Amino acid sequence: MALVEVIAVSKEYQSGEEIIRPLDGVNLTIGEGEFVSLMGASGSGKSTLLNLVAGIDQVTSGRIEIAGTDITQLSRGKLADWRAAHVGYIFQTHNLIPVLTAYENVELPLMLLPMSAAERRNRVGIALAAVDLTNRADHYPRQMSGGQEQRVGIARAIVANPTIVVADEPTGSLDDNTTEQILTLLQRVNRELGMTLLMVTHDTDAASRATRQLRLERSELYENGTRLAPRALRTA
Amino acid sequence: MFGLLPYIVKSLWRHRTRSLLTISGAGVALLVFCFVGAVQHGLLALTESQEAGSTLIVFQENRFCPQSSKLPEDYSRTIAKLPGVAAVVPIKVFTNNCRASLDSIVFQGVRPEQLKQFRKLTLQSGGWDGFTRQGDGALVGQAVAGRRKLKVGEKFTIGDVSVQVAGVFASSDAAEEALIFTHLDFLQRTRGQNEAGLVTQLEVHLADGANPDTVAQAIDTEFHAGPVATTTRTKGMFQADTLSDLAELIGFIHWLGYACVALVLSLVATTTVMSVQDRIKEHAVLQTLGFRPLRVFRLVVTESTVLSIVGGGLGVAAGLLFVGWSGMSIAAEGVTIAFRPSWSIAVQGLIASLAVGLLAGIVPGWQAAQTQIVSALRHG
Repeated sequence: MALVEVIAVSKEYQSGEEIIRPLDGVNLTIGEGEFVSLMGASGSGKSTLLNLVAGIDQVTSGRIEIAGTDITQLSRGKLADWRAAHVGYIFQTHNLIPVLTAYENVELPLMLLPMSAAERRNRVGIALAAVDLTNRADHYPRQMSGGQEQRVGIARAIVANPTIVVADEPTGSLDDNTTEQILTLLQRVNRELGMTLLMVTHDTDAASRATRQLRLERSELYENGTRLAPRALRTA
Repeated sequence: MFGLLPYIVKSLWRHRTRSLLTISGAGVALLVFCFVGAVQHGLLALTESQEAGSTLIVFQENRFCPQSSKLPEDYSRTIAKLPGVAAVVPIKVFTNNCRASLDSIVFQGVRPEQLKQFRKLTLQSGGWDGFTRQGDGALVGQAVAGRRKLKVGEKFTIGDVSVQVAGVFASSDAAEEALIFTHLDFLQRTRGQNEAGLVTQLEVHLADGANPDTVAQAIDTEFHAGPVATTTRTKGMFQADTLSDLAELIGFIHWLGYACVALVLSLVATTTVMSVQDRIKEHAVLQTLGFRPLRVFRLVVTESTVLSIVGGGLGVAAGLLFVGWSGMSIAAEGVTIAFRPSWSIAVQGLIASLAVGLLAGIVPGWQAAQTQIVSALRHG
């Protein structure tokens, strides 16, 4: 069953005199429970596509439906509410709030949802346990290693039990050992918690951990070397 | 929003030097604001109190300084017989400084029995009997006693007047706490004065229902052709006329109060703008997590409001404590304006702090709310 449907999506923006069009009529379907990796050359638009699916950027044309909601039709405020309830975002550089402890960072998305304090405590406890950081709950980001920070970032992304987790080069700033730990963790998130993941990466090994491996080239998506549904014609 | 208060406080604490400097700046500005408010409050209390409209002051015509007004004391008997007059209190005024001064000492010589009857004094130390028996005895207002560190039994001299403290009093009228009361005849005869039978002014207490203007006109008409002509005004008008120069100055310095509020606005807004510019990426992360732009705006406005309220609150508290503790007053030509703390000044100060905090956060809050998430994550 399709959870994410990207339909004829184009994205363009102005850079000085030039109009850049990283995505031009892209189509993509992601099923519920899939772990999809997305690779591509620099500037191919893979991060742009991920940001559009995460609802933090806006399409120039086309539609993105996630669990039946066309997020391209939502206002900024409604889109923020939708992100709070449906998206977990894992950044490359962790982006934890430096003045908050690991516990407080993980709790932050839950503050936006209608939930009792006891329920929040319970969920944060489970998320921290899932990333094996219960004993670091009171630590601030500056007191943790890069790998631990990224694990807190993953806990923050999954704590609200989102519809989809998106990860933008989650191992891009980590050493090999830590990368292995994080990828294993992401696989567990997918297999054990049943969450749908979309991960952008440059790393072929990292991509191979996903259940589907996609490559984006000139707005065409390839899976295992085969081109997916043809690029939609731009109407504008 | 209360759930995010720890985040707000920790964000402010992250740049604690900047936050503390802003808080201290806001505190000092609000301290000055309260001080200016206390001065204005003192002036208003003098000119707009109930007594200010129901009591008349008879002064020598065309005289402004108490040293130059010399009315025959027996005018009081004539005035007492006029319709609408309930009582007349002859008062001899002596001041060490006719010009505006923060350390003027004003003596008022009043008959002890009239002092007891017409002034609501509460003795903090000493007693009425001692004052009544002792010719050079003085009842000292607690503001003067505090400022000059005077205690019962001590002798002190100001100008040519030497008195012994017979009591220290508090009064419901703050301006009176900056006065020293002596016996009328003592002040008339004291060295350098020698003005027996002469007083500076006559305080006329009106009967219920009497029209102050009618009685004032009757008094001035009565003495128009006498040895010393008079000018009679309500106490409030008399004090306003006497303090007119000072009132203009005080009217001008209220702009200083507004300037202080503007200073806090500028200070808090600058700090908040800097804080927002430091955290462009952080605000983008919050929006990625699902914070609505309006919520980010409120976070920033709350930050600026916390800074302003904490600084302003401390400034208001310090200002009112200072004004209350110092017992400061300013006197000109024998009339004293007491600087007094009041709840209304505290409330005004806190409301000003709140308003400034909210205003100061609007522009940086708007900037934070309008953050383009992707661009801020990439370049922030």
